[in-house]
Amino acid sequence: MSILDYFSAILLAGGVFFSFTGAIGLFRFPDFFTRVHAASVTDTIGVILIIAGLLLQTSFDLNIIKLLLILAILLLTSPTASHALAKSARHGGLLTLAESNRSNDR
Amino acid sequence: MPIIKRFFLLAAFWLLLSGHYDPLMLGFGAFSLGLVFYISIRMDRLDGEVEYITFGQRVVRYWFWLVGQIFVSSIGVTKLVWGKTSDLSPSLEKVPATTVPDSTQVLYANSITLTPGTLSVDIEDGDITVHALQKKSLQELKEGAMAKKISEIWKKER
Repeated sequence: MSILDYFSAILLAGGVFFSFTGAIGLFRFPDFFTRVHAASVTDTIGVILIIAGLLLQTSFDLNIIKLLLILAILLLTSPTASHALAKSARHGGLLTLAESNRSNDR
Repeated sequence: MPIIKRFFLLAAFWLLLSGHYDPLMLGFGAFSLGLVFYISIRMDRLDGEVEYITFGQRVVRYWFWLVGQIFVSSIGVTKLVWGKTSDLSPSLEKVPATTVPDSTQVLYANSITLTPGTLSVDIEDGDITVHALQKKSLQELKEGAMAKKISEIWKKER
């Protein structure tokens, strides 16, 4: 294994760890809005690290451009999707944790 | 965008993604370029208002900075995920978006969503409604480091 392989393995392992963290957070966090935050860990740092790891695995060719395009497209679309989800939840009348606690106290 | 520039961009895009340079594939490329040009010129004529998002060095410079932010805040959220859930203090507040240039408000909102721990829920009248996992990240947002960075990079445009 060359030194690049070691770097790539570290990056990939980091990506896997953060993606896994996002999945765990999805279960552990208490309500819809906080769960979206957990998923955004997978969306962002997980994707960045995994693609960086894969970049080191390819020889210097067209695949690099394809991987970078995938990264750019994911980084543009995933916040848009999260925003659409949160906005429709909000407009549909879903309360945040703090707000629903307040209305329970009354 | 002048038509020549658009032609070169699309041709480069095809060549980079295909990776096959035999006559048949190049022919297909030329054919689809022609089709795209026919459709888009027709659309521009019907629509009239053509606006392009600038995709230059600015975006690249900004993305490098943003990736750094993503790293920092991801580690924060990761700690919350593996720690006690009682550390959470989810809150919702309006953050003014008028501090950044008009054309970059969407970029600002998207960047807020992209950094883990903060989520833009709505844009209304120049205010972004932001949901955050912890109150302190809302405060950091209000101090405006991100807004400052965006207006610093994009102000030269005008």
